[in-house]
Amino acid sequence: MNMIVPLLSLVPGERGVVVDLRGGPNFRSRLYAMGLAPGAVVRVLENYPRGPVIIEVGGTRLALGKGMASRVFVRKL
Amino acid sequence: MAMRVVALAGNPNVGKTTIFNALTGMRQHVGNWPGVTVEKKEGVFEHKGERFLVVDLPGTYSLTAHSVDELVARNFLLNGNPDVVVDVVDATAVLRNLYLTMEIFEMGLKNVIIALNKVDLAEKKGIKIDPVKMSKALGVPVVPLNAKEGAGIEELKEKIWEMAHGMIKTNPVLPRYDPEVEREIEHISKCLAGTELADRYPLRWLAIKLLQRDDEVMKLVLRHLGEEKLKEIMTHIGEAEERYGRAMDLIIAGQKYEFIDGLTHEFMGYGKAKETLTDQLDRILVHPVYGFIAMAFVFYLVFKFVFAFGMPLQGILDDAFGRFGEWVAPHIANETLRGLLVDGVIGGVGSVLSFFPLVFLLFLALSFLEDLGYMARVAVLMEGILRKFGLPGKAIIPLILGLGCNVPAVMATRTLDEEKDRLVAMFVNPFIPCSARLSVISFLVGAFFGGDALVALAIYLLAFAVALLSAKLVSRFVSGEESPFVIELPEFLLPSWKSLLLHSWERSKEFVQKAGTVILVGSIIIWYLSNYPVPMGTGKSYAERLGHLVAPYLNLMGLDWKAGVSLIFGIIAKENVISTYSILYGGLTGDALKKAMMSAMSPLQGFVLAVVTTLYVPCIATIGAVRAESNWKWALAVTVYMITVASLLGILIWHVGTAMGL
Repeated sequence: MNMIVPLLSLVPGERGVVVDLRGGPNFRSRLYAMGLAPGAVVRVLENYPRGPVIIEVGGTRLALGKGMASRVFVRKL
Repeated sequence: MAMRVVALAGNPNVGKTTIFNALTGMRQHVGNWPGVTVEKKEGVFEHKGERFLVVDLPGTYSLTAHSVDELVARNFLLNGNPDVVVDVVDATAVLRNLYLTMEIFEMGLKNVIIALNKVDLAEKKGIKIDPVKMSKALGVPVVPLNAKEGAGIEELKEKIWEMAHGMIKTNPVLPRYDPEVEREIEHISKCLAGTELADRYPLRWLAIKLLQRDDEVMKLVLRHLGEEKLKEIMTHIGEAEERYGRAMDLIIAGQKYEFIDGLTHEFMGYGKAKETLTDQLDRILVHPVYGFIAMAFVFYLVFKFVFAFGMPLQGILDDAFGRFGEWVAPHIANETLRGLLVDGVIGGVGSVLSFFPLVFLLFLALSFLEDLGYMARVAVLMEGILRKFGLPGKAIIPLILGLGCNVPAVMATRTLDEEKDRLVAMFVNPFIPCSARLSVISFLVGAFFGGDALVALAIYLLAFAVALLSAKLVSRFVSGEESPFVIELPEFLLPSWKSLLLHSWERSKEFVQKAGTVILVGSIIIWYLSNYPVPMGTGKSYAERLGHLVAPYLNLMGLDWKAGVSLIFGIIAKENVISTYSILYGGLTGDALKKAMMSAMSPLQGFVLAVVTTLYVPCIATIGAVRAESNWKWALAVTVYMITVASLLGILIWHVGTAMGL
């Protein structure tokens, strides 16, 4: 079963396909310009309990705040 | 004939600056884009006897209207009429980099060259790119580069020259979207066809930007075609989004990547990706515990480096100017002119230039960390803490720099992405005790508290607390959106020394120009006040009279007119506070001065003086820097705010202390 979950809930090593960015226009455009667009495959590298989520997408590493990672929705792979 | 213009565009962290430096060398100029505090770099290169002007656009991921940087880049591409656009693409992240490329193509620009940088690094990561096929797929020339080593730069110059002379025909590929989206683009294009906007901008670009609800393009439509037209178009878009059940910009972005992905299959192949050194380092450097330890160590090294080399150089320059003044003095017969030249001008220029080594070394260390990619890690680490005070994580850099000198620290706030963050960060920076204030604090703590380090530490902690709480307060009053926290962690890359030196040199030169005039004028004023109508020490000079004038106010916090004179001179440079006391006590220095001050003041008064000196006002060079990075109004606001805070704290400490019987 392919669940749609917030990126925040993924543990290091897990991958997902971005399906939705739930936020304002500024939030959306910032993320997809950096490669986090619908269809992008994301791999979580680190998900620190008190700190950022580090992901890999399109050959680059990004650090996201917890708030942002909770608004990026992915289909788990 | 006017010089042909080359615009340099690209994502951040792709080596754009290195390419800019490799192209232009020393022939460059740093300024600001008109009306905004975004750095504008221009340079010139010559090829086949012709000179080209290279304009380095801000590094951006896209060309939306959401940030100043992106708007600046976009407006230049649209209205600056560049003859050639060089789009720097990072070979290690082609998919994302081509997103910007597609935006450039969609703007209708034809004279585009792709500078494919970091090819060697990509190969190490198992990414194979065929430049010829890539050029065919994109419809524009592709020049592979390794900018750090200088490989490919001559080829790039040649291509720019050929393109500027119309010798290269291009056919930039435009992203195709799903039929439904294409239908919307077509519909909006039709709405705009034949209007005055259509003459000035490509229809397809206008249509796509409207679908993405781009503020600036919506304003364009409103201004040129009226409210009716805009409403008609936006209603249509609203209906389309209703059908899709999601925002149009999201759909377009997704499909754009899909299109790019399809393109890359024609020229790119992935091997097996290995774990890189960066992956391993990041496990430590952004770790919530080890990361902070590493950061403390790195900044300790930076300070060690800057002060170990900078302080002696500063001493040498100070000495040299002092001796130059002594040498000049006997040659000027007129007493007034001699005083003005020796104490005012030479002393003033001397104190500006003596700052130069410190500023240069600070910028050198910072540029190194920035170009290396480490600053991004610092920003990630500090985000959680600083965000609580209304600042982004990156703001830790100017805060720490302030411990050395607030002038380069204020200038470093320009590395923050959002205008709002920049304003808040430069507002609170002068609270951070610089090295000049360290000398005052250590002198006073030495005199009144037997050099107890805990007292000095308390003053530092108080200063940081005031700075952070002020940031929290001020950020409420500065309008602007909170910047979304997403930061790229670029691959670590040793920067090229040439590029570093060039960059630091430009920055420090700017410091001398900007802060220099202010310090010079300040020194002349100080010289005048302390020599007229009679020299200081008699109680009749303007300086001493000013001291008596502010004395009633300072009495509220237990300080006298001597503190008044010292604090006034401290505005020029904070270390003046002690040297003024020295003059007022008839030239006593060192331990003798400490003893004299101790017999005149209680430890509580000494503590108040130390706190007030630390917080009361930015020095004149810092005021100049704040003005240069924002405007006079903001510089004035900082000054008034600091005087208020320092006064309130001074009065509070004095009265609470007295009540406690200290």
